[in-house]
Amino acid sequence: MTGTLAADGVSFAYPAPRFSRGGVHGPRRIGTLHNISLHLAPGTSTALVGSSGSGKSTLVRILLALAKPSAGAVALGVREVKPGPARSLRWYRQAVQYIPQNPAGSLDPRMTVAQLLGEPLRQLRVAGNHRALVAEALERIEVPAGLMERRSGELSGGQNQRVAIARALAVQPAYLLADEPVSGLDLPLRDTVLSLLSSLVREEGLGLLLVTHDLGTAARMSGTTAVLAHGRIVEHGPTHRVLDSPGSPEAAALVQASAALHFPPAVPAGAAP
Amino acid sequence: MPGGTAFVKVTVSRVLALVALVALIGMMPWLSGRGAEYTILRARYSDREPTPEALAAVRAELGLEQGPLPLFVSWIRGVFAGDLGTSWISNTPVAPGIASALSISVTLMAFALAAAAIIALLLCTPAVRDGLRQRRRPASGALSAALTSLPEFLLAAMLLVAGAVWLQWFPPFGWKGPEYAVLPALSLGIPAGGLIGLLMSDAIRAGFAEQWVGTWRMSGAGPVRLSAAVLRRALPAVLPQIGLVLIGLTGGAVAVEKVYAIPGLGRALLGAASAQDIPTLQAGMLALMGLALLVGTLTTAARYLLIGPAVRFGTLPLAEPPRPGNRRQLALPAAAGITLLLVVGAGLLRDPFTSDHARIAAPGWSLPFGADASGRDLLARVGHGAVGTLGTALVVVLACLAVGIVVGLFPLAAAGPLEVANAAPPILAGLVVAALSGPSAHGAAVAVAAVSWAPLAAHTAALAQEARAQPYVQILPVLGVGRARIMFRYVLPAVAWPLLRHAMLRLPGVALALAALGFLGLGPQQPSPEWGLILAEGIGYVERAPWAVLAPASALVLASVVAVGLAGAGHPARFFARNSAGAVPPPGTNVAPEHVQAPAGVR
Repeated sequence: MTGTLAADGVSFAYPAPRFSRGGVHGPRRIGTLHNISLHLAPGTSTALVGSSGSGKSTLVRILLALAKPSAGAVALGVREVKPGPARSLRWYRQAVQYIPQNPAGSLDPRMTVAQLLGEPLRQLRVAGNHRALVAEALERIEVPAGLMERRSGELSGGQNQRVAIARALAVQPAYLLADEPVSGLDLPLRDTVLSLLSSLVREEGLGLLLVTHDLGTAARMSGTTAVLAHGRIVEHGPTHRVLDSPGSPEAAALVQASAALHFPPAVPAGAAP
Repeated sequence: MPGGTAFVKVTVSRVLALVALVALIGMMPWLSGRGAEYTILRARYSDREPTPEALAAVRAELGLEQGPLPLFVSWIRGVFAGDLGTSWISNTPVAPGIASALSISVTLMAFALAAAAIIALLLCTPAVRDGLRQRRRPASGALSAALTSLPEFLLAAMLLVAGAVWLQWFPPFGWKGPEYAVLPALSLGIPAGGLIGLLMSDAIRAGFAEQWVGTWRMSGAGPVRLSAAVLRRALPAVLPQIGLVLIGLTGGAVAVEKVYAIPGLGRALLGAASAQDIPTLQAGMLALMGLALLVGTLTTAARYLLIGPAVRFGTLPLAEPPRPGNRRQLALPAAAGITLLLVVGAGLLRDPFTSDHARIAAPGWSLPFGADASGRDLLARVGHGAVGTLGTALVVVLACLAVGIVVGLFPLAAAGPLEVANAAPPILAGLVVAALSGPSAHGAAVAVAAVSWAPLAAHTAALAQEARAQPYVQILPVLGVGRARIMFRYVLPAVAWPLLRHAMLRLPGVALALAALGFLGLGPQQPSPEWGLILAEGIGYVERAPWAVLAPASALVLASVVAVGLAGAGHPARFFARNSAGAVPPPGTNVAPEHVQAPAGVR
């Protein structure tokens, strides 16, 4: 039984490059995250929104135990998680999986779909029949079984993206961190993938963290939304509240930009070139 | 680049490499083992029998019994006190001879640098002219490539035939006045100047293509100002390689001084190596190392002055300069390769060992290349020599590939040894190995391999760095894949094929290095038909039988043309353009050294 996936008081800073320190008075470290606390529970979906450069990717890296926070900690249930050798993190990797931005690029072009999906199962020592797990994961995400022996270069962009999602799901994680998982997909496929993810959350108790800059997706998928700006969580609460009455200028700007994108003002007649 | 750990690693590695090099030089008497005792016994006490007692007496006299460390300590103490030891052969202090030889070599080097500068300048002129006229065309580079392709020992032999024997414009041997320096300086300066010119004109063309040039032009910068600015822009990227070329001159000088009988440091070292006079060799190596350090420091300082704080430490030297290649440029190497194959094929059918022809018989129908001084068929010797030289080269290249891959996967820790190996000319390595274990084909191969792995390691490092930055490698930790498996299952397959290709491209170059050692007597011995050795045998008869030099020399020229042609065709962009599947990460060889950095994927 896995408990909550929690980041508590996480900060992240890296040493300033030597030449930009500006002598003894310049900053020694540059901070990108400040005192972030974020709790994910099984069977819930949380959206993490923020403009680029707000620290979303760094937070995800810390949650994935790829980077060590300079303060604070990440824990799954009662066990604290830190970057370390692959062997010591197996339990965590099986519990927390990841769909990267540009999932197609995350597939080794030399490996077949079957190899790609089998690798984490083998490396994480997942129990069960791996072939069956692979087939099941592919079926769930509507990748024809006939593609098992193809390589990523022989698949379409959408197929590649689904393979990457299937790879994360094949190990049957309790939590899934998805970094813009549908950004490269066409609308019908986007719908399929999002429906699948929400049914996993509802029916199988998956805990989902959806990193996105699209508030529409956030509204559809997640009951809770956290808005990240300049390395701080400036807003955290029920999604509808964040969207309807944003309490911070950064969140308001995001909402406004998103609305302008979805409902552009009509072009006045005759103004078109 | 986060933190100073990379800088610390590189610095520590550099210091350790330097210490190891000095230690190697200091321990040479011990490393030379039993051979040394016999050498001294023969040299100094030719009347004594090599009985165990006599050998023990020699050991005691040399202090060899103390073991390597005390030997090294007493040597290094002496060095700091200005005492470089006593020659094992002549039993006189080493320092004065080395000092006078060094002064001659430095003079020769100055002449060579002048020649190289003039040649490089001439080669850069078209690039500057094109740039000022705003014409953008790819560098043809054919002339520079031709100049670069000839190793110094070969060029020296050919210039000797042409300038001193046929034209009789210059004296063939000796060191008595400025006219004696012309041919040797050209032999050293032509390949060096050719290479520098090639690199510089590429950099100048790239400089003129940059956007700021247009801005400057529009604000009314004149041609002189513009050329000066572009030169200033182009120079820093090329400076490290110019430094390497200059250090490489010391190796070439050994061959050139031998050919022209110049009493410089190179010839002194060669004599010391073949006589196993270790103290003289130690002193000479130390002098050369000092020279190399000086050149390295000067080029680094010059780079800092030119681009200031924009220089971040270049952890790796460049694997190979980018060369544009096209089909037309492949025609010449291909023709050279086919000719070489025909010659070798014809030669292999003939007998290289029996002396059944007249001594130095002139070429004719039955004897196309003539006969050598022992009446052996030169065509047969050149043909069979190809097999020996190229076969050894293949083994050397594969060994270098293995070492290069292992070292290249740990680029920061290996930075120091890499720089040393990259800078050390094979001829100097050959001198050391020959002095320690006696000249042999085996030793020559070891020597060439010891310094030839560096470009492959640098290439491995660059490719591995890019492979590690690929998203499909970056995600692996999340999938539970451990470090070792990432390295062997993912990174290695991604880099293996381009590396194998690169290694094969180095084959002719390695063959030439082996031939250079053979030429100097540091490689295979008589009667093996080895290209360098055949050339060395012929050079004594150059006035009466030029064909004895021409036959092996033309084979070597053909091999050189193939070598440079392959290096040009090996421009990775062409390879990757053909492999459009994207199965392999883009190449890392053709980036400026500033861009070859510690892993960029780790942020």
